[in-house]
Amino acid sequence: MVEYRIDRHSGVATYVQIVQQTKQALRLGMLEPGDKLPTAREVVEATAINPNTVLKAYRELEREGLVEARRGLGTFIRKGLSITPADSPLRLELDDWAERAREAGLGRDDVAALFTAVLDKHFQGED
Amino acid sequence: MTALATPPVTGRPAGSSPHLLHWLLRLHRPALLAWTVFVLVLGGLLLWVGGPLTEGAVEGWKQYHACETGGCAYDPSAVGRHKDWYMYTTFAVIGVPVLIAAWSGATLTSRELEHGTAQLAWTQSVSPARWLAAKLAVPAVLVAVGSGLLVGLHHWAWSTGQGRLDSAKSWYDVGTYAANGPATAAMALAALVIGALFGLLKRNSLGSLVGSLCGTGLLWSVMAIATPHLWPTVTKFSSLKNDVPQGSGIIVDQGLVTSTGAHVADPHCGGSGFASCQARYTKLDAVGYYNDYHPQSHYWPLQLTATAIILAVTALLALAAFRLLRRQTGPSAPARKAAAV
Amino acid sequence: MTGTAAIEAAALGKRFGRRGGWALRDCAFRLPAGRVCAVVGPNGAGKSTLLTLAAGLLAPTEGAISVLGTVPGAARERVAYVAQDKPLYPQLSVAETLRMGADLNTDRWDASVAQRIVDDGDLNPKSRIRTLSGGQCTRVALALALAKRPELLLLDEPMADLDPLARHEMMGLLMAQAAESGTTIVMSSHVVAELEDSCDHLLLIGGGRVRLAGEIDELLAAHVHVSAPAHAVLAPHTVVESRTTGRQLSALVRPSSTLDTDWRTSTPSLEELVLSYLRNPEAGAAPAAKTEETAV
Repeated sequence: MVEYRIDRHSGVATYVQIVQQTKQALRLGMLEPGDKLPTAREVVEATAINPNTVLKAYRELEREGLVEARRGLGTFIRKGLSITPADSPLRLELDDWAERAREAGLGRDDVAALFTAVLDKHFQGED
Repeated sequence: MTALATPPVTGRPAGSSPHLLHWLLRLHRPALLAWTVFVLVLGGLLLWVGGPLTEGAVEGWKQYHACETGGCAYDPSAVGRHKDWYMYTTFAVIGVPVLIAAWSGATLTSRELEHGTAQLAWTQSVSPARWLAAKLAVPAVLVAVGSGLLVGLHHWAWSTGQGRLDSAKSWYDVGTYAANGPATAAMALAALVIGALFGLLKRNSLGSLVGSLCGTGLLWSVMAIATPHLWPTVTKFSSLKNDVPQGSGIIVDQGLVTSTGAHVADPHCGGSGFASCQARYTKLDAVGYYNDYHPQSHYWPLQLTATAIILAVTALLALAAFRLLRRQTGPSAPARKAAAV
Repeated sequence: MTGTAAIEAAALGKRFGRRGGWALRDCAFRLPAGRVCAVVGPNGAGKSTLLTLAAGLLAPTEGAISVLGTVPGAARERVAYVAQDKPLYPQLSVAETLRMGADLNTDRWDASVAQRIVDDGDLNPKSRIRTLSGGQCTRVALALALAKRPELLLLDEPMADLDPLARHEMMGLLMAQAAESGTTIVMSSHVVAELEDSCDHLLLIGGGRVRLAGEIDELLAAHVHVSAPAHAVLAPHTVVESRTTGRQLSALVRPSSTLDTDWRTSTPSLEELVLSYLRNPEAGAAPAAKTEETAV
């Protein structure tokens, strides 16, 4: 179960904070497909925010296909945002590449900069 | 406005009414207790006055009359004690219930409005009209029962001395007349409603108390002045030789009657026994006295008429209180024209 | 208009005494059901008067107010109200007060709700009301109001007496009530920040009039905070407030068309919006209120 923490002074809209914290929980594996999100009542009782804000966040998550609302039952996680599994070919290749970079004498920061540059080249315009 | 007489329709089960009464009694427990103690104490005093004190005074008078012929010592204290305590209780029966009612009527409504607890009740599904109805009904019953009991006991305490005590008050003695009859109990009810009305008007304790006392005093005065005129008087003619007009009771008008039958004012010159006075009577062409008065047989007609008038005024004032409250708080049903937006 | 209105006012005015000043005048607004509405404005603006009119404790001097589709007096069972000074009977104990609530209200009364609120505050049920602190009285008053399970909950400065912890907890409780039962909640405050996260609807009262009314999101979206050169012409946009400092003009405007792209713009916070309107009494009422006036 995820517990939301609302930071009133972050400048980030409250519903966005809920969306972000849900995604974060998905990435960290704290939420998995089939898990139930807290009801709006539970969220607002703990955070004192407006119920419609919670519903708006849940609608946004639903729109992104991450959750589904089941009538009378609650809102459930539909799919995970987990990172690629540890034994996938892509990960093995990257593992191999990092090993070679280290052998070539590159430091951690050099590798990160190189990776970021390549990332930027291939994923332009995406977050 | 006829709807006000019946409890407003709120869709609540009718069985919930006793709860409101229960809470009223709980909330005003000290006042209820004080009133009960007052009625019991004064009632006890009246029993004492009508019983042991009267017997003592009768004995005192017996001794006195025995001494008239024999020339001995007698003890006047028993007679004095009866007279004093009769007077105290008479004033208490007339005054205190009215004062208590005027005070409680004013505080019952104004204090709650001032502190916001009336508004608290009105937002607990109790409509203002029902609130006021309960607020008036409970003390009205208590005042009517208590004051009625005291008046009855006073009447009894007065009657035990009749014909046995030379110092007994006559039925038409101002204090006795008031304390013996139901009009005083009705006046206490009127005071309660006047108090409640001023409480709604002023919405503060002191202002409504002053208004309540003034209003009650005014009604009392008007009734005191009007009472002798509420029933046709009996006129008795008597000879000038008696020196005073004959007939005892509540006197409305008396004076001289001339040979033509006209009524003229009595110069009060001392009676026909004095030559100068007789001369004035002759000059006025006076042949006798006339006396317009109420004999004892008029006691109940006068009391009941006054009571009816006071109760009618009370009912009108209660209606005014309900109308005022409705004007202050708005209607409780959307029937009136198209009030809803 | 869609759905039932929780509160609807038309040309509403209230004057105290025949010669007294108007506490409220020309108020026209519509609060849809299911909203959590902040009634905001300076002290003495008429917030309390508006709430007492809605609660059916006072009759309007002019105009009309309807609550849950009927006159306030006919909606008593479905409306709960907590006055600013939280009046309770001082001679009763906490437990007696709750029993009275159960007796005087209808079958809707939920004793467990009242009990939970009182228990959460560690209140001794046997304590007399007169011995309680202001915050404890607020708790008992809210217990009475919530146990009634109202459709409309009117709260006049509900949080003023509470410490921050209790404030957060009570607000959570109110929000849970709104989420669970769809209760319309109207609460007044002169501290905007207190209500910003909890409310989705705003009613801004100033000088006895409705200055701004509508969904908070829509109101914020309809206004833009503008920074522009001092000589910039703001017309035809509606200017709520503008201030020139040196060569810079900063203003809160309600754009009527696309804004000049040279200007730096930002979305105002609710507090900025409210303060701008309150500082400028002559600034026009929000369009939402205007349309209501004609529609009602």
